[in-house]
Amino acid sequence: MDPTIQINELVPMVPIFKPDASEILRCYPYKMKYRNQEIEFTIFGMRHPTAKGKRMIHVFDMSDGINDYRIEFDAERLLWTLVSMVEGHDVRD
Amino acid sequence: MYGISKEEALIMHIDLNSAFATTEQQAHPHLRGKPMGVTNRISKECCVIAASYEAKALGIKVGMRRTEAMAICPEFVLLETDPPKYNAVYQKLIKIMQSYSDNIKMKSIDEGIIDFHGMQHILNGKTLEEVGYEIKQRVKDEIGDWMKINVGIGTNRFLAKEAAGWHKPDGLDKIDHTNLVKYYKERKLTDLSGIAERYGARLNAYGIMTAMDFLKAPEYMLKKQVFKSINGTYWYQRLRGFEMDDHETSLGMVGRQWVVKDPSDKDSYLLPCLSFLCETTGMKLRYREVEARGVAVWVTYQNGEYWHQRRMHKSTFYTNQEIYRRALELFNQRPHGIVRTMGIYTYMLTPSQVSQLSMFDDITKVRNITKAVDEINDFYGTFTVYAGTSLEGKKIIKQKIPFGGTEYFELLLKTA
Repeated sequence: MDPTIQINELVPMVPIFKPDASEILRCYPYKMKYRNQEIEFTIFGMRHPTAKGKRMIHVFDMSDGINDYRIEFDAERLLWTLVSMVEGHDVRD
Repeated sequence: MYGISKEEALIMHIDLNSAFATTEQQAHPHLRGKPMGVTNRISKECCVIAASYEAKALGIKVGMRRTEAMAICPEFVLLETDPPKYNAVYQKLIKIMQSYSDNIKMKSIDEGIIDFHGMQHILNGKTLEEVGYEIKQRVKDEIGDWMKINVGIGTNRFLAKEAAGWHKPDGLDKIDHTNLVKYYKERKLTDLSGIAERYGARLNAYGIMTAMDFLKAPEYMLKKQVFKSINGTYWYQRLRGFEMDDHETSLGMVGRQWVVKDPSDKDSYLLPCLSFLCETTGMKLRYREVEARGVAVWVTYQNGEYWHQRRMHKSTFYTNQEIYRRALELFNQRPHGIVRTMGIYTYMLTPSQVSQLSMFDDITKVRNITKAVDEINDFYGTFTVYAGTSLEGKKIIKQKIPFGGTEYFELLLKTA
């Protein structure tokens, strides 16, 4: 079954920008606060752009090494939303 | 010995491994190395439309129902499709391919051809194998480190595709006159691209049981007896590495079909759905900049029967309303019964004449309103404005990821 848990909550976010990095790793979420827990992303999944009506949305698929998170950045309204997560296991095992 | 082409292999076929599933594994690190798949809409009886290599190794196949897949592997994870994500991968792959040659052709969302004829000078002395390995690395660097591609190099499109499938996943092979016979000796007849069960059975009936038998078969036999058409000659040449597939296929028909969500015989349920199918058909016609003269409607019933009706018109049409009006005339003639699948298609397509001035005021008005609605939908998202007759149909019919061609992918993304 689809293990995705829908969340759709705005979250405090620390993004990171590396001017000299390759295009896919130039800008991405570094860590966020969700339910009073600070979650630091250690694995970059992928980023893809999409549109919601006229708004440009950047979708980031990130992982903290255990769970996968889908995060959306609304480039017009400057909002970070934690859209969903998939509970996993420690992929470093 | 077999009249094999001695031409330099300059066609490269690139094929993303289990494209949708691998893309999801790229996005979800915890799914990497695990049996997983993708489906359009998760339901009890939904089908797997892409399976990861780990799932395929367990025997889970594309087209298998979710329940069957879960019976094979209870840990099998199924995700819903995410078209914008696949489009991002598709666009990046095109960008990488275009950086080597302008002459590229995407065969579908996950495979494409680079034709290096006349492009040798930009290779700076590199062999096509070296270019292939470079593209593999660029896919990892520019799309994601989990992404894997198969690269095949051949003297024609057929052999390049065969080479790409020789050592899956993550393979790179070249087939030319030096190893063509060796390749055919390793393959079964139905392993060849384009030879499925029906063609296989036809070839078997003439004593052609293996890929090598196929290569050895004389041209007159393939043309006059096996295929009974020029296709026999095409196969004879294709198998030897001569190019037979470098042509554009003309657009024959445009339409849409639908598996009825809740099979029904009620007009109140079916007509809004027909209207919606006509709307999407109209969008496709205008997207391809063509107009149609013919319209056809078909239906399959719960009891297995099939009904089909088509009609040619003197004038061309392209608006949603015109398509629906003409399709409805046909649909109302159908025999009574519970409808399981239904479809509409338009044919006898000609280039659009929308840009030509019309002498008649009402035709100009129709053009203007259609253009205005299309512009609104283009800006605010498809189906921002649509016909009232489609209102219920839009709620019922879901847009799905198409298999095969990429002709309507851009259009589909606007509705995603």
